[in-house]
Amino acid sequence: MIKLNEHKEPQHSVTSQRYLTPNKVTVFMSQHLGSPAELIVKPGDEILRGQIIAKTTGFVSANVHSPVTGKVLKVEYAKHPILKHAEAVIIGPDYTKPRVNFKPKDTIKFSKEEILNIIKESGIVGMGGATFPTHVKLMPKSPVDTLIINGSECEPYLATDCRVMLEYTNEILKGVEILAKLLDVKTVIFGIAENKPRAIKLFEETIENGKYDFPLVKIAELNAGYPQGGEKQLINIVTKRKVPPRGLPMDVGCVVHNVGTCLAVYDAVYKGKPFIERLVTFCGDALKEPKNVWVTIGTNLKELFDSNILEFKTAPKKIICGGPMMGIALDSLDYPIIKGSGGFVFLSHDEAEVPETPCLSCSRCVDVCPMNLLPNEFVRAVKAGEYELLEDMNLIDCMECGCCVYSCPAKIPVVHYVRMGKQFLRNHAVKEKK
Amino acid sequence: MYNISSSPHLRVKLDTRSVMLNVILGLLPVTAAAVFFFRVPAVYIILNCIITAILTEWLVLKMRGVNPLSNTSYGSLKDLSAVVTGLLLALILPPAVKWYAATLGTVFAIAVVKHIFGGLGCNIFNPALMGRLFLMIAYPKMLTTFYEPFSVDVVSKATPLALYKFSSQFVSLKSLFLGNISGSIGETSALCILIGGIYLLLRKIADWRIPLTMFGVVLAVTIIMGTINPLSGSLFFHLLSGGLLLGMFFMATDPATSPVTKLGRYVFGAGCGLIIIIIRYWGGYPEGVMFSILFMNALTPLINRYTKPKRFGER
Ligand code: SF4
Ligand code: SF4
Repeated sequence: MIKLNEHKEPQHSVTSQRYLTPNKVTVFMSQHLGSPAELIVKPGDEILRGQIIAKTTGFVSANVHSPVTGKVLKVEYAKHPILKHAEAVIIGPDYTKPRVNFKPKDTIKFSKEEILNIIKESGIVGMGGATFPTHVKLMPKSPVDTLIINGSECEPYLATDCRVMLEYTNEILKGVEILAKLLDVKTVIFGIAENKPRAIKLFEETIENGKYDFPLVKIAELNAGYPQGGEKQLINIVTKRKVPPRGLPMDVGCVVHNVGTCLAVYDAVYKGKPFIERLVTFCGDALKEPKNVWVTIGTNLKELFDSNILEFKTAPKKIICGGPMMGIALDSLDYPIIKGSGGFVFLSHDEAEVPETPCLSCSRCVDVCPMNLLPNEFVRAVKAGEYELLEDMNLIDCMECGCCVYSCPAKIPVVHYVRMGKQFLRNHAVKEKK
Repeated sequence: MYNISSSPHLRVKLDTRSVMLNVILGLLPVTAAAVFFFRVPAVYIILNCIITAILTEWLVLKMRGVNPLSNTSYGSLKDLSAVVTGLLLALILPPAVKWYAATLGTVFAIAVVKHIFGGLGCNIFNPALMGRLFLMIAYPKMLTTFYEPFSVDVVSKATPLALYKFSSQFVSLKSLFLGNISGSIGETSALCILIGGIYLLLRKIADWRIPLTMFGVVLAVTIIMGTINPLSGSLFFHLLSGGLLLGMFFMATDPATSPVTKLGRYVFGAGCGLIIIIIRYWGGYPEGVMFSILFMNALTPLINRYTKPKRFGER
């Protein structure tokens, strides 16, 4: 674990605004972990806001909905922030048509299966960044006794979790209520980072005063540093349990959901609204002012600048999709926002632009690795081409959190080498099978 | 087009050069003490070793076909590691060392110990200590001749540990602490070493585990020996004399030659402490710090292998 300069202000204090009328949306079939959804519309089709345009395929997958009312213009391969290129539907919105308003549902009478189905149909995926389809996590294969709500947001700069906690406290708690019931857990633990004192207080008060049907509930103030919001780390901090290597949270009786996901679950179950909009933080020193904006999934990043929602102060040197520790640097502004886009950071100066120098064996990377690995050895083995050693070194367990790279005085991009090593292991596994 | 390097996109400010610069800063009090107590000869030795180290590093990098002033995979003159090695070696040489011996030792440390094994970060043994070991074999007499601080003519005088070992005499603790004793130029003032060492620990340049266990083991055994044989000298005498403090703060913590695992660093420190004790009480030399650290240097790869931390969640 490491302590980072968090750069959370002023984003933490900027009230969210809306930009829900994009000129064009580009919606990917693949914006979650797992198999891509299967397209069920074709160019020329008139579609409605909230209508399913691609259906789940396989167990780990999620539906995709049209975020606007309008017409399917094209189906093509578009630039994807994570996958580089992926199949997408281009939709031209038609704002002359009446706006679709979602109907609240009378959920009291609903059975567990029905509620689970609503969540599945709504295409909700984890909002914390991993975009794992939420309904899958609600059907654990082994018994679960603890539901952990992740409000740590340990990546520097990003502020959406903080904002939703402050602005939608009741809705999140209602969402948590649903999840706790579905999972039938004994304990609910909210893990909120100490850098969000207002959120902690608000949650404490709201839980105290509100009428929520919770089992045992606890708020854990997190102060361990980055990456305390990583699933395994968070579980360890709040329950002392350790998920075994390559295991899942349910192996130790836990399920973790992000606060944003809980809000999406509330929207789906109580308002009948699928996952078509999300809150995104835009910040960094190259922007005139940081903003938290509700945007329609599929909105092009560039459009936000064209429509003056965002303005540059200085020319950015680096644009990061996600947080600066695990996010991906984009080569242009021409990228659509996807379900997993929690934030974009625009930096006028690139700290990573430093030459790599020889490893000193100084052990700083080893000391900070939250997975207790030996990052310096990965680098050595990959550089020397000793790939057969990587498996024994447990390279696979590296979660690419970047703590090692951040701390390295020799400025060695360990994660870059880790990815090379993992790629090799994958290729190798494929060959072995054949 | 924007920069698109792989994550993470943040870096600490600390780089190799600033690590080395901090080590040099940590050595400043000791260096000052060396110059204060041993005057001009100390200045000569220090300058000699540093300049030789820089020139040797430059030459070797040239010979390896790289520009010594750019970033290379063998290191660079700019990273200041050569200066650290030169300064460290100077500080563990006796004041009477001849200029050619100091030069030769430095060349050996940089060219052979550091670069033959791969360069910056790849060496198995601490270059400064190996440089001294080399000189001890090449010039045994010169390297074991010490004289009192401030003396104008070189009247040889045994070090406190030698005095104790061979003639059971003790020097005053005050002299030991301040440095008014004979010995290698940088080993005499416990006070100055402590100041620099604590600076390194506070700045997190050196890890505290090695000095702590090393000191702890020497302390514990000395207490035990003291109760068995009251004539074996006072506690502080053993802790303050010889190169123990300098070695444990500045040599044993050398990153390249000490283990990378936390557990390994405890083992390393304890091992160093134990070997020092064995040599001091039962060995032929009065002082064992150099041997102990070099010995543990050799074991470092092994220690790393056997103290590999259990990965998160593994039982
Ligand atoms: S932090 Fe960097 S220099 Fe230090 S051991 Fe790790 S990779 Fe090597
Ligand atoms: S090795 Fe992997 S898990 Fe460990 S600190 Fe580096 S990126 Fe994180």
